[in-house]
Amino acid sequence: MPRTDSDTELAAVGAGLDALDTPAVEQAPPLWRRALRSVAPPVVALAAVVVVWQILWSTAWWPEFKLPAPQAVWDEFWTSASTGEVFGIVWTSVHRAILGFLAGVVIGTPLGLLVARVRVVRAAIGPLLTGLQSLPSVAWVPAAVLWFGINDAAVYFVVLLGSIPSIANGLVSGIDQVPPILPRVGKVMGAGRYASARYILLPAALPGYLAGLKQGWAFSWRSLMAAELIAVSPQLGLGLGAYLSHGQNFNDMPKVLAAIFLILLVGVGIDLLVFRPLERAVLRARGLTASL
Amino acid sequence: MSVNLHQRVRPQSTDVAVQLSGVVKNFGRGEHTVTALDGVDLTVAPGEFVCLLGASGCGKTTLLNLVADLDAPTAGTVTRNTSRPAVMFQDAALMPWLTAATNVELPLRLAGFSRAERRAKAAELLELVRLGGQDRKRPHELSGGMRQRVALARALAATHRLDGGEQQSLLLMDEPFAALDAITRDVMQGELVRIHDATKPSVLFVTHDVREAVRLGHRIVLLSSRPGRVVREWTKDENTDEGPLTDDITARLREVISTHAAH
Repeated sequence: MPRTDSDTELAAVGAGLDALDTPAVEQAPPLWRRALRSVAPPVVALAAVVVVWQILWSTAWWPEFKLPAPQAVWDEFWTSASTGEVFGIVWTSVHRAILGFLAGVVIGTPLGLLVARVRVVRAAIGPLLTGLQSLPSVAWVPAAVLWFGINDAAVYFVVLLGSIPSIANGLVSGIDQVPPILPRVGKVMGAGRYASARYILLPAALPGYLAGLKQGWAFSWRSLMAAELIAVSPQLGLGLGAYLSHGQNFNDMPKVLAAIFLILLVGVGIDLLVFRPLERAVLRARGLTASL
Repeated sequence: MSVNLHQRVRPQSTDVAVQLSGVVKNFGRGEHTVTALDGVDLTVAPGEFVCLLGASGCGKTTLLNLVADLDAPTAGTVTRNTSRPAVMFQDAALMPWLTAATNVELPLRLAGFSRAERRAKAAELLELVRLGGQDRKRPHELSGGMRQRVALARALAATHRLDGGEQQSLLLMDEPFAALDAITRDVMQGELVRIHDATKPSVLFVTHDVREAVRLGHRIVLLSSRPGRVVREWTKDENTDEGPLTDDITARLREVISTHAAH
């Protein structure tokens, strides 16, 4: 039958086109090479910093209490690590930052949705939200201490004001960047307001939202450090900020540098262990792998 | 079941899938009123493939929006005896975070089908558009033609309703192949004819391309621009010689466009 013949021919041409036009999938390099490529540069950079530091110290240009030897800072870190003291200090701060960040997510997400989808709300508080994002949250510490006293409430207040604007704004820009054709497709398929948000808008806005979360975490962490550094009280326990403050009070430069090292370590660690893999998975699923 | 939109008018005949009578659509008010459609009469029979042909500004997209119930006419009536129409755009507009299969499942999910039913129907539809083995691929891993075929499968899925098993389905296609290269477009036209023969939906297909209209349509409707009016219709059957028909339609289209030259 001619009908079937032309059908088979069409199928063959179509299959050929598919094979020719399908985007080539890049072969991922072996694991050890990827690990080497991502681990080696930062390790080399870190080693270079330590070497320069060691050289500067050995010139004895600055007095010891201003620039201690790398070894002295390492000893301070190692002493508190081997007694287990450091884990308590880090945990005090990290669990506060995580709780504060999660509360920020719970408040910031619906706020971002409202600002993105309701015009009046956007006009009313959109600029304020952006302004708050650029206001260093350490500026809230005096007010928080006067309102709540030196306690956990004051610390969480500062952390929330640091993280909520970033999280909400991340979601807003994520939703703003959704191509308008996608909600339109949802509409012609009969998606109502809720279904459209649930199945189309929110998944489409995920990359922007994730970027907001990442920034929200960074802001939570630095707000917390500012709050802990200024509002020191036995009631608040010994967090990283208080540890840093002790270093300052006792003129203990190795302690100060060890604290800064730990604050950096936590910030980088959470980013590498939590946000980087999440972001990578989300972007890779959408074929947005150019920068990874 | 018949669905009357906007005004309570009985359809003249059950042999009609879509009927537009005296449809007028204005945008804006007062002095700034723009008439997009002016007294358009159009019928689409069940299973019929109708091509709407016209230059820019003939109100093709407005017309599709009216049929899809996304907009209401200023005057006249739009009657539909079909399930919810499925729309296909020039852009495949697939959800980039979903696979080919879950993209096809999306309208079924919105319509409330169970997971097993969704899986089965999506697999069947992907098989129909010859993408059987590609169900786990994401849009960025597919070529333009394959993406447009996923969009076609999704559009066919969107015509499925939980309650309306026997209802005539309706596809509205807004220049779906305009962004594809010539070879792929040719294959896609062939595929569309094959799939139309297999599933028999009513189709309203908008295009700028006379050859495409002649190849695909059972009936070709030429619209004028600003405002859109029906200029002429041609009906095709097995004995129609496509060459002279194409020439005839092209001549009329050129005539219509020339009248818009700035004097």
